[in-house]
Amino acid sequence: MSGNRIGAILLQELYITKRSLEVIMDLLVFSLMTVVVFGFITRFLVGAMNATAGSYLILGLLLWEIIRINQYSLSVGSLWNIWARNLSNLFIAPLSLTEYIVAHMLSGVLKTLVIFGVISAIAAYGFHFNILRLGPLNLALFFMNLTIFSWAVGLVVLGLIFLFGTRIQALAWGLIFLFQPLSATFFPVSILPPVLQSVAYALPPTFVFEAARQAYGAAASSGVNWSYAAAAAAENLIYFVLAVQAFALMVARSRRTGQFARNEG
Amino acid sequence: MVPKGKIVGLLGPNGAGKTTTIHMLLGITTPTAGRITYFGREFVAHRQECLQRINYASSFNTLQGRISVWENLLVFARLYGLTNPGPRIRELAAYFEIIDLLPKRYWDLSAGQKTRVNLIKALLNEPELILMDEPTASLDPDIADKTLSLIEEARRALGVSILYTSHRMDEVNRICDEVIFLDRGRIVAHDTPLGLTKRIDAAQLKLTFDGERRVVEAFLVERGQRHGFPQPHVVSIDTTAAQIPALIFGLSERGVWITDIEVKKPTLEDVFLRIARGTDDVG
Repeated sequence: MSGNRIGAILLQELYITKRSLEVIMDLLVFSLMTVVVFGFITRFLVGAMNATAGSYLILGLLLWEIIRINQYSLSVGSLWNIWARNLSNLFIAPLSLTEYIVAHMLSGVLKTLVIFGVISAIAAYGFHFNILRLGPLNLALFFMNLTIFSWAVGLVVLGLIFLFGTRIQALAWGLIFLFQPLSATFFPVSILPPVLQSVAYALPPTFVFEAARQAYGAAASSGVNWSYAAAAAAENLIYFVLAVQAFALMVARSRRTGQFARNEG
Repeated sequence: MVPKGKIVGLLGPNGAGKTTTIHMLLGITTPTAGRITYFGREFVAHRQECLQRINYASSFNTLQGRISVWENLLVFARLYGLTNPGPRIRELAAYFEIIDLLPKRYWDLSAGQKTRVNLIKALLNEPELILMDEPTASLDPDIADKTLSLIEEARRALGVSILYTSHRMDEVNRICDEVIFLDRGRIVAHDTPLGLTKRIDAAQLKLTFDGERRVVEAFLVERGQRHGFPQPHVVSIDTTAAQIPALIFGLSERGVWITDIEVKKPTLEDVFLRIARGTDDVG
């Protein structure tokens, strides 16, 4: 693993992000607009109904963006090179697939940190919602668990794109939203029908969102719900290992069938 | 096998497997059988070490369009581990006369300019071998000719070996030291361009003569030569390269005054067509 080569891909990511209105719109502008809309909805609900329930919306949104931006960055980051017919050029350099993926993961984390910081500041100053009330340890654990889950989804989506080509590229920015209702992002799991509750608890973000609501609902900065943190981490470990294996199999098959090279054709 | 400092052409009809071969040699497509070695090292086991010493240029692959030429080259220079890439990029940009294009976005360049940038990318790591997949495919004849000159010059100046695929027989004839013909994934011929054309014995002789047509016709019938008269004093003879001197000498002996001789020998294109149409085995 070479830090230079990972740095090279990060540099390319920086250049592309700076020059792509699409990335700026999809990541920054979309996040900003959503937090503003959710901020106003929260303000309305806090005034009209239950103050805590209202704040769950903006809490869920801020944490959801950690998943969305990380996953988008990992999956769509490679599409930029496929669309530019530049992916092969990268892999005929002494760049390993692991280095390439690690670079995109790091790029996603950096983008997420920046955007999460910006929208959290807007939530705090615009709508009196202080994400820091969760406590630094909780925030770090939530960030870690949501990020690992988004990497697992991102790897599977990327593997599918390598295997089937760009005809399924819409999954890169669309598939993740399937998990939004299933992981009870904006409401307690108890709202879901019993069957879907079982599905929800099979997804690591569910434990994060539940723990976040508990922590935010507590009067003072509360401690960590270690059982939820451990459940999310354990599920993440399983999903991530499975995703890495699935990704490796899909890439190997894509290289065997020639699809990997044809993706740019 | 690509000998050091040589340009080896990889030819074949559409679907012969040229691009697939290049992709396998680059490691982006996995071969179903066989072994690839570079510089005496097994490619799969020493992938990164081998890739550090080779590079690739193709009209089918481009760089990132929305970032500048300089930024693109900087990314690749870092991928190849260049510690101070600026001087190297500027040196190559000067060599290929594109210094003024460095700040421009890649997608704003013409096809010829993009080809030059791709060649710079391919030379960044001072490779010992470059794989080129139809680098002139999208270029007009003038720019293609300049690009070929640059490739020839780069080979001379840097001693780099090149594996070159193209559909253009004239450019293969011009720059390749050896040619490998592929057909349906198999090597059907491997020789110098001249050696390959020599494998086809047929030749066409066109003579302009002063004298009686019936004398010429009688001589050719006697010799069993297929012929025709496109003009009253021009005869076109389908023969073999070996018989040409004897035919000219024989006609002269019969008092035919030959005023012009035109010999059409087989070209690489004829070899290509025979392989593509499966009409002959030139291997």
